[in-house]
Amino acid sequence: MRFQSQKVAYWFFATCMLLLSLQIVYGFIMGFARIGFDGLHDYIPFNTARATHTNLLVVWLLTGFMGAAYYIIPEESDRELYSVKLAYIQLISWVVVGVIAIIGFHFNWWEGRKFLEIPRPLDYLVVVNVLTFLFNIAMTIWEAKKRSTTQLVLFFGLLCAALLYLPGMIYFDNQTLDSYFRWWVVHLWVEGVWELIMGGILAFLLIKLTGVDREVIEKWLYVVVGLTFLSGILGTGHHYYWIGTPKYWLMVGGIFSALEPLAFLGMAIWALNMYRKKGKDHPNKIALYWTLGSAMMSFIGAGFLGFAHTWPSVNQWTHGTLITAMHGHLAFWGAYAMLVLAVISYAMPNMTGRKLFTGMSGYLAFWASNIGMVGMTGALAVAGITQVYLERKLGMDFLVVQKEIVFHFIGMLLAATLFTIGITYFIVDFIRHGLPSNEAVGKNVGDID
Amino acid sequence: MLSKSQARAFFLGGTFLFGAIFVFLTIDTLRQNDTRTNAQNLTEDVLKGKEIWEKNNCMGCHTLLGEGAYYAPDLTKVVERRGVSWIDVFLDDPQAMFPGERKMVKYNFTKEEKGQVIAFLDWVGKIDANGWPPKPNIPIGSITTAAPPQSTANVVKVSQPEKFSQLCVACHAVGSKGGNVGPALDHVGSKFDVDYLNRWLIDPQVIKPGTNMPKLPLSDTERKDIVTYLSALK
Repeated sequence: MRFQSQKVAYWFFATCMLLLSLQIVYGFIMGFARIGFDGLHDYIPFNTARATHTNLLVVWLLTGFMGAAYYIIPEESDRELYSVKLAYIQLISWVVVGVIAIIGFHFNWWEGRKFLEIPRPLDYLVVVNVLTFLFNIAMTIWEAKKRSTTQLVLFFGLLCAALLYLPGMIYFDNQTLDSYFRWWVVHLWVEGVWELIMGGILAFLLIKLTGVDREVIEKWLYVVVGLTFLSGILGTGHHYYWIGTPKYWLMVGGIFSALEPLAFLGMAIWALNMYRKKGKDHPNKIALYWTLGSAMMSFIGAGFLGFAHTWPSVNQWTHGTLITAMHGHLAFWGAYAMLVLAVISYAMPNMTGRKLFTGMSGYLAFWASNIGMVGMTGALAVAGITQVYLERKLGMDFLVVQKEIVFHFIGMLLAATLFTIGITYFIVDFIRHGLPSNEAVGKNVGDID
Repeated sequence: MLSKSQARAFFLGGTFLFGAIFVFLTIDTLRQNDTRTNAQNLTEDVLKGKEIWEKNNCMGCHTLLGEGAYYAPDLTKVVERRGVSWIDVFLDDPQAMFPGERKMVKYNFTKEEKGQVIAFLDWVGKIDANGWPPKPNIPIGSITTAAPPQSTANVVKVSQPEKFSQLCVACHAVGSKGGNVGPALDHVGSKFDVDYLNRWLIDPQVIKPGTNMPKLPLSDTERKDIVTYLSALK
């Protein structure tokens, strides 16, 4: 790490690890409920587990993005962070809001809108919090001696993510409109501005890990995020097919969704090409694994598997089935979870000065969690396709069909166990790195630049 | 080869153009919304129902218009499929209606609240959702070589009481039509006499402790009609 203030990122990453562990626990609760072991029903009914599982995902990824920004922006700006104190206040208040929300879910306190379950009063606190974060980042960039594209794309992505949170806070008494504007947040986040954040972080990691000229990497960054918006904005239409909006959304959503994989394909080709052009080897191979892995898995999970069921004539059957859960798991894992783990893998040796990336456990973490996640996705895919045929195409009763697919959920739980082993290795490594040290300031481990 | 400024122009131009189209389509969608969703039918009850729906995070298990958690059935057309009385009984004690199945929280809604939830679901079911959900399109007969199941019920002189088709068929089948949670009732009239059937419907637990059959809220006339009907199934 170059600057003292980058140390603040460590605490964001540590929070990530904690929230990710909790997310896995709630995933298991849901998995067991699906195979008939719902002993926790009276304390944690499925809807509580589900809201907690998905909200923890969003919160830990955002925490990771914030940590990444606090790490990347000072280095890209070539100066200390505007205010370290503000960053700590922001982290603590962020965690407090998150904890209150999660506890609230267990007492039937929520908004009941998929992915946006956080109750309204807490929404305002989130807004204040994110504004504080953006202010800190903006001031750092504002007072910086140099501007880089990576820095600006990352900031623009974070800013848009904050702005797009607002349409989710308007109350509509009409379910169709409620749903319409909820997707402005959910879709335009994950298939829009989050990809900008992803592009920015990926560009930073590629610059550091491959040593390819910044100008080349940043030019392609524009192309990739250009493709994202070109397809992703109107691609929102694939959520509008069956909720009561005009029929033209079928065509608009269909065509632009079909283009969405291009952005992810661009991302994967970009990352692999930059790796191919590398001048010399960076010693932190683990970080490189996660970085390239993220670019490729996001293409498979978000790009290809998304494409597999967004065409209207397919989607009319798969809409609202486990097919969506299948796509969701690999998409979030590949695009965002792996990316945050990539930043952590890259930053930890720099912050602590410990070169743990030479050991075996990093590879075990990578392969076990990835094979586990692919296994979970496969199990959900088989369950989903079975559900589509039996329930939708043949018209069998919902609960009868659910009994037919119990077996695949046993498979899913086994794959989830492997995944959890991988994540455990990652977290153990994280802890073994220890706390960031002042001696590491001014030194980066093996950067090529 | 593309220069960096051209790449930037591609990004900014594309974002602006498609963002503008998106805003334009949104305005048109809003313009058509009242007609497509029958906004004139958004009564006080429907809005209260939506509040109850959200307050209890029903979408955390169920799906509605295909959006939700895939753990419990999609409720878009539930009023059309099950009917008001069935949902009304179901909400009192969901687990009694599907014993040993996936559990639903017992919310203890008042009569009024149940009506509001049903009003909301009824309104949702009438939204013009471009033909979704589609009707099943693979006939069972086309994928099986076995003969289609024959109706085993005799021709019954007594017509099916309304309450029977609203409540009982959710679990029991007559002539292969109905649910399979409870046993088929095709020959129930030859197994049990009128008195037994009557006592059974008044309180199943008294006759057979531990049975999965729920105690249904039936008036004396309704019970009598059902018993008459069941006795004719021989």
